[in-house]
Amino acid sequence: MKLFSEHFQKEHPVVKFDVRAKLAVVIALLLMVLSYKGVLFPLFIAAGCFLLCVRMGIPLRVLFLRMAQPLFLAVVVLALKCFFTGEDTLFVFSLPTSHFPLLTLTVHRDGLIEGLKIAGRMLGAVSLVIALGFATPFTEFMAGLSWFRVPKGFIEIMMFAYRYIFMFLEDAHTIYSAQKNRLGYSGMRKGLRSFGTLTGSLVIRGIDQTQKTAEAMTQRGYTGDMPLVKKRPLRFGEFAVAMVFIIFAGAIWMI
Amino acid sequence: MSSQKSKVKSQKHEITFFNSFLLVTLVLVTDAHAMHISEGILPFNWAALWFAAAVPFVAYGLYRLKKLSAVDPSFKPLVGLMAAIVFIISCMPIPVPTAGTCSHPAGTGISAILVGPAISVLVTAVALLIQALFLAHGGLSTWGADIFSMGVMGSFAGFLTFRALRSVKVNMAVAAFIAGVLADWATYMTTSVELASGIRGDSPFLPLFYKILIAFIPTQLPLGILEGAMTSGMVVLLYKRRPDLLVKMGVLKAEEAAL
Repeated sequence: MKLFSEHFQKEHPVVKFDVRAKLAVVIALLLMVLSYKGVLFPLFIAAGCFLLCVRMGIPLRVLFLRMAQPLFLAVVVLALKCFFTGEDTLFVFSLPTSHFPLLTLTVHRDGLIEGLKIAGRMLGAVSLVIALGFATPFTEFMAGLSWFRVPKGFIEIMMFAYRYIFMFLEDAHTIYSAQKNRLGYSGMRKGLRSFGTLTGSLVIRGIDQTQKTAEAMTQRGYTGDMPLVKKRPLRFGEFAVAMVFIIFAGAIWMI
Repeated sequence: MSSQKSKVKSQKHEITFFNSFLLVTLVLVTDAHAMHISEGILPFNWAALWFAAAVPFVAYGLYRLKKLSAVDPSFKPLVGLMAAIVFIISCMPIPVPTAGTCSHPAGTGISAILVGPAISVLVTAVALLIQALFLAHGGLSTWGADIFSMGVMGSFAGFLTFRALRSVKVNMAVAAFIAGVLADWATYMTTSVELASGIRGDSPFLPLFYKILIAFIPTQLPLGILEGAMTSGMVVLLYKRRPDLLVKMGVLKAEEAAL
């Protein structure tokens, strides 16, 4: 299933790096990016994450697809800010018939600067999370969350959800193909009815599946708590590398 | 020079058709993010505020989960299933004819009706975290804001509407439809508030809020109706085929299921 980032993971030292250290670095950098008042630091982080992903062997097409939506939104926010907010006029676009207001557009200097800051912040923050997703397997991530004392109930629900997503996607694809082949989406009314049937069928099948899962788990000794992967003690080397990285980034952030 | 300046000043206060058209077009094309605020869009203080607002609801959801799963061991897999449903529904593109593009419903209306609003907030938090980490859909820093708009507002609006309408004996399909519609619209209203407050900078809040709200209407209005139809379709299908499940989830009384 080529849906999730972890599908594209390759053998790379960053993937093997302790998830707790990776999470600490990403959270620290995320805080720096969000609280930065300029544009350069987030762009520096975005460039670093992009290079890291390329080094990890992530196909460029996949990388651009992941970035496409946030990138587009960044452009939209930039346009919104520079055209619709601000006082200081930078320049005015107008066609020769400028007396006709339909063809006039004002770009504001303060709006443009504010928009660039938001767009830069978005690119930096999105790149960090994308790099984390490509570098961390799901089970490792769960173990990391457990070490950070995230409530066990939350992690268990996440693991169940992850399992059911794949089951659902397979079932949904089968039902959707069958409906489409029988012209189930040939009109608005038919489409709505088919979509309702599709989601309803998925829920019924899913609920039945949860009963079976619970029965099977109870027979295997499940009492309401799922065992999680125990993390090995944090190695000093990995901890030191993470700290040096955070301090280095912090120094750039302060400059 | 001064005449040019005054011309610019007068033009600045005009909301021209071209500007409005550009705004609507730009925001319409981003409707894939209608329910999810992208990573980094909110500044630190706003991201922290929405986190603080969402945490008590998630904590209460975890408390309810612990209580209910102690009685029924199959409850946790069921909640995991609901999280998967919300994940898939909120990733599922639906054509929006007025915009000529695609958007996605939230799925929190149906989850709130089936498992209650507190658990539904937890379900949304899980779905959003998986989407943020492995699909770059939403974000870690905007997780709190997304939980609050989609999980808290969507779930409570859907649940309270459904229960209120059912208490005055409104037909189940109609009640589920309206609950789905309001859950969706409550989510997008809150998203508009979060976006406007987060990106406004030094500009006044209300004008930007209205602009975002108005720009969302052409997509979210029909999308809400689609979400209502989907919610209604799912509840009616469950009622017709498996009323026992609705009784088990507390949506229906045993005597109503027997009718």
